[in-house]
Amino acid sequence: MSEILLILLAPVIGGVLYGFERVVRARMQNRQGPPLLQPFYDMMKLIDKQTLIVNPTHALLGVMHFVALWAVVAFTIMGGNLLYIVFLHLLASLFLVLAAFSVKSIFSHLGANRELLTMIAYEPILVMLSVAFYIQNGSFSIEAVRANPSALGSLFFLFLAFLFVVQLKLKKSPFDAAKAHQEIVGGAEVEFSGLFFEFVYMALWLEYVFVYLLLLLFAGNNVLLGALLFGVVFLLVNLVDNATARVRMEHLIKIFLGIAVSLAALNLLGLSYV
Amino acid sequence: MLTQILLIAPFLFALVVVFAGVRLRNILTVAFVIFLACVSLLHLLFINEPLGYDLPHEFHTLFFFFDALLLLYFLYVGIAKKDTLVASLAASQIVLYGAVKFVGGGEGSHDLFIDNTSLMMYLIINIVGGIIVVYSLKYIESEEFGRLKKNGFIAVLFFFLGVMNFLVSTDNIEIFFLLFELTTLCSYILIGYRKDAVATQNALRALWMNQIGGVAILSALLLALVSYKTFSFELLIANIDATYLFPVVFLLIAAFVKGAAIPFEKWLLGAMVAPTPVSAILHSATMVKIAPFMVLKLSPAMSVFLSEAVMLFGTFVFFAASLLALSKNYFKEILGLSTIALLSFMMALAALGTQEAILAASILMVFHALSKALLFLQLGILEKEFHLKYVNDIESLMSYSPLVVFFIVFGFASLTLPPFGVFIGKFMAFESFAAGIQESPVFLAALLFSALGSVFLTILYFKVLTKVFVRDMRLGTSKTKEIATTYKYTSWALSILLGAGIVWSLERQLFGMWEIVIPALLIAIVPLLLFVFILKNAHRVKEYNCGEKEEAVLNMYYLHTPPALQKIIVVLSLVFLGSLFLGVAL
Repeated sequence: MSEILLILLAPVIGGVLYGFERVVRARMQNRQGPPLLQPFYDMMKLIDKQTLIVNPTHALLGVMHFVALWAVVAFTIMGGNLLYIVFLHLLASLFLVLAAFSVKSIFSHLGANRELLTMIAYEPILVMLSVAFYIQNGSFSIEAVRANPSALGSLFFLFLAFLFVVQLKLKKSPFDAAKAHQEIVGGAEVEFSGLFFEFVYMALWLEYVFVYLLLLLFAGNNVLLGALLFGVVFLLVNLVDNATARVRMEHLIKIFLGIAVSLAALNLLGLSYV
Repeated sequence: MLTQILLIAPFLFALVVVFAGVRLRNILTVAFVIFLACVSLLHLLFINEPLGYDLPHEFHTLFFFFDALLLLYFLYVGIAKKDTLVASLAASQIVLYGAVKFVGGGEGSHDLFIDNTSLMMYLIINIVGGIIVVYSLKYIESEEFGRLKKNGFIAVLFFFLGVMNFLVSTDNIEIFFLLFELTTLCSYILIGYRKDAVATQNALRALWMNQIGGVAILSALLLALVSYKTFSFELLIANIDATYLFPVVFLLIAAFVKGAAIPFEKWLLGAMVAPTPVSAILHSATMVKIAPFMVLKLSPAMSVFLSEAVMLFGTFVFFAASLLALSKNYFKEILGLSTIALLSFMMALAALGTQEAILAASILMVFHALSKALLFLQLGILEKEFHLKYVNDIESLMSYSPLVVFFIVFGFASLTLPPFGVFIGKFMAFESFAAGIQESPVFLAALLFSALGSVFLTILYFKVLTKVFVRDMRLGTSKTKEIATTYKYTSWALSILLGAGIVWSLERQLFGMWEIVIPALLIAIVPLLLFVFILKNAHRVKEYNCGEKEEAVLNMYYLHTPPALQKIIVVLSLVFLGSLFLGVAL
C-alpha cells in the first residue's frame, strides 16, 4: 500500500527535492535562493498559460516522456527487474529526443543530438551496474537487493562510476553540456511551452527520484547507510556543480567511456575473480 | 507425409506460376501461399518429437547430378563474366567435391531430420516468406519487364522457399551443401535480376562470397569423412572429439558467410540493388537465417573455447555493425547493417548453447523476421508509391501517408520496445551473458559489446523515426495518397502477427505481466487521450529560432566513422576468425 502511495506521490517528492536543491545550491553561493516550493509555483503558472504547440507529435512525445519515466520510477519502487528498468529508462529518455527532433528548430536538434551522445556515455554503466547487482544477489530483482546487506564495499568502484552518472542525469556541471542553455538556448526542451513544458519539467523531477532510488540500492537493507549516502551524495552533487566548469561534449564521452566504464568493468572483474 | 508436401510443393508451384497469365498467376500465388502457411502450421499440431526419413537411392544420384551441374554453371558464370574469384572458387569447389566423392563411404543417419528448430524455421520461411511473395505480385507489376520475366521472379521466390524448407530439414551434409549452393544460386539470380551494371557486379560479388561458404562446407565434409567416417550432422555432433573440431569450425565459417557477418558483409549490402521484395526475403525469411540455424545445430558440438569465441565474435560484430550503421543515410543500408548486427547477435547466443540462450536466439529469429519483413515492405512502398529512398527525404511522409508512417513506427518499435519479441529476446540475452561472467571474463566483453551495440541500434532506429514524425503543416491533407491494397493487406498481416507475439509472450510468461502490459498500454492509450482532450483545441506556433531569419535545412544526425576505423573492424574480425582455427589447432 505504502508503495502505491509513494508511486503516486513520486512527482511531488521529486519537486520538493528539486526545490530543496535550489535552496542548498543558493546557500552554497551565499544567496538566499527561491522558496522551497518554487517548482510548484512554477507549475501553477505554467498550467495557467494558453496551450501553444509547434506540432501535435512534439507535444505528445513530451507527455510520453513524462509518463514513461513515471512507469520507470513505479517499477523501481515496486522492486522490479533492474535490467528491465534500465532499458525502459533508455526508452523513456528517447521519447524526449524524438520530440526534440520532430520540430524544425536548430537548437532543439542540437540539444537532442547531445542527449543522444550522453546516452551512449552512461548507458553501459547502468547496464554494468545491473549486472553487478546480479552477480551479488543472483538475480536482477531490486527486491533482492533491498533484502540483502549493503554491497557498497564490494561495489565501490561501480559506486564511483555511478556518481558520474548521477551528475550527468541530473544535468549538473561538469556534465551538463546537453542542457547548456547559454550555448544552445534550452537544448531538447526549447520548443515546449505552457502545460507541455510542465510535463517535461516534471519529468526532470522524476529523474531525480529515479537516480536517488538507484543510489539507495548501494545501501541494501541498511536504512541508516541509505540516509547517509543520500545526504552525502546530495551535497557532493551540488558542491561539484558549483565548483566545476562545463566540459565539452567530446570530453564528456571520453571521460565516461574511458574512466567510468573502466572503473565499472574493473569492479565487475574483481567481483567475479578476486 | 506432411513434410514431403512442404518440401516438394513449392517447386511445383514455381513451375505452375511461370506459365500462368497475370490474373491466374496472382490468384494461384495467393492460394499457394495460404496452403504453405497452413501446412507449416499443421506441423506444429502433428509433429511432437524429432522425426527422421530416408530418401530413395535414386534421389542421391539426382543430387549428385544437380551438384555437378550447379558447380559447372558457377564455373561457366565465372569464365563468361571474366570474374576470376567466381571461377576459381567454383573450380576449387569442383576439386573438393571430387575429393569428397573419391573418399566416399562414411556412415549416415537419416537424410531428413525434422526437429523443433526445423519446425520453427518452417513457420518463418513459409509464413513470412509467403507474405513477401504475395507482396511482390504487386511490386513486380510496375517494373518494366516482360510477362515471362515477371512470372520468373515469382517462380524463383517459390523455388527459394522450397530450397529453404529442404535445407532446414536435412541431416546429410552433402545434401545440405547442394541446398546451400542453391540458395546462393537464388540470391545470384535475384540480386542480378535488373541486369544493369551495378546489379550484375553485386550479384557476382554475392556469388563469390557465398561460394566461400560452399568451400568451407566441402572442407568440413571432407574432414568429417576422413576423421569421423560420417556425412551426417547428427553423427558428427554425437561423436565429436573435443581435440579435433576442424569440421565444426569450417561449418561455422559457412554460417558466418551466409549470415553476412563482418568481414563477409559486402554481399548483403550489395543485395539492395535488387527489387525490394528480394531484400525483404533475404533479410527476413531465408538466406541469412541459415546462419543462426546452423550455429543452433552445431552448438552441442562446440568446445568451451569455440562457443566462447563465437560468442565474442558475434557480439563484436553486433557492436561494430551497429556503429557503422549510425553513419548511413540510405534506408536500405541502415536496415541491412542492422540485420547483420542482429544476426551476429543471434549466432552469439546460439553458440552459447544454454537453454535460455537458445530460447532467446529462437525468439530473436522469429520476431526479427517479422519486423524486418514489415520494414522492408514499407521501404518498397516508399520507393514505388512515393519515390523516396533516403532517410532525410521521408520528412513529410506523415502528410502523404499516415498509414505507412504507422507501419514504419510499428516496425521499429517492435525491434526496440518492451512488449515486443525482439526486446524480450535481447533481454534474455543479457541475462545469459550476465550469468556467465563468473565463468569467464569473455562474457564481460560480450556483455559490454552487447550493451553498447544495443544502445547504438536503438539510437539508429530512432534516427529514422524522428524523421517520419516531422509534419509539414503547410501541406495539410491535400497530398494524402492511398496505397495499393496488396501492400496494405500484407503489411497488416505482418503487424497482426507481431501483435500476436505479445499475446504469446504473455502466455509463455517469459516476462512479468506488468512488464508487458504497462508499456503496451502506455504506447496505446496515452496518445489517444491526449489527442481527444487537449491537442484538438491547442493553438499552433512557429519554432523559436533566436531571431534568426534564415531558414535552416536540418539533416539527420550521423556518426562519422573514418575509413581507418572500418579497416580496423575488418582486420579485427579476420583476426577473430583466424584465432578460431588457431585455438582449435592448439
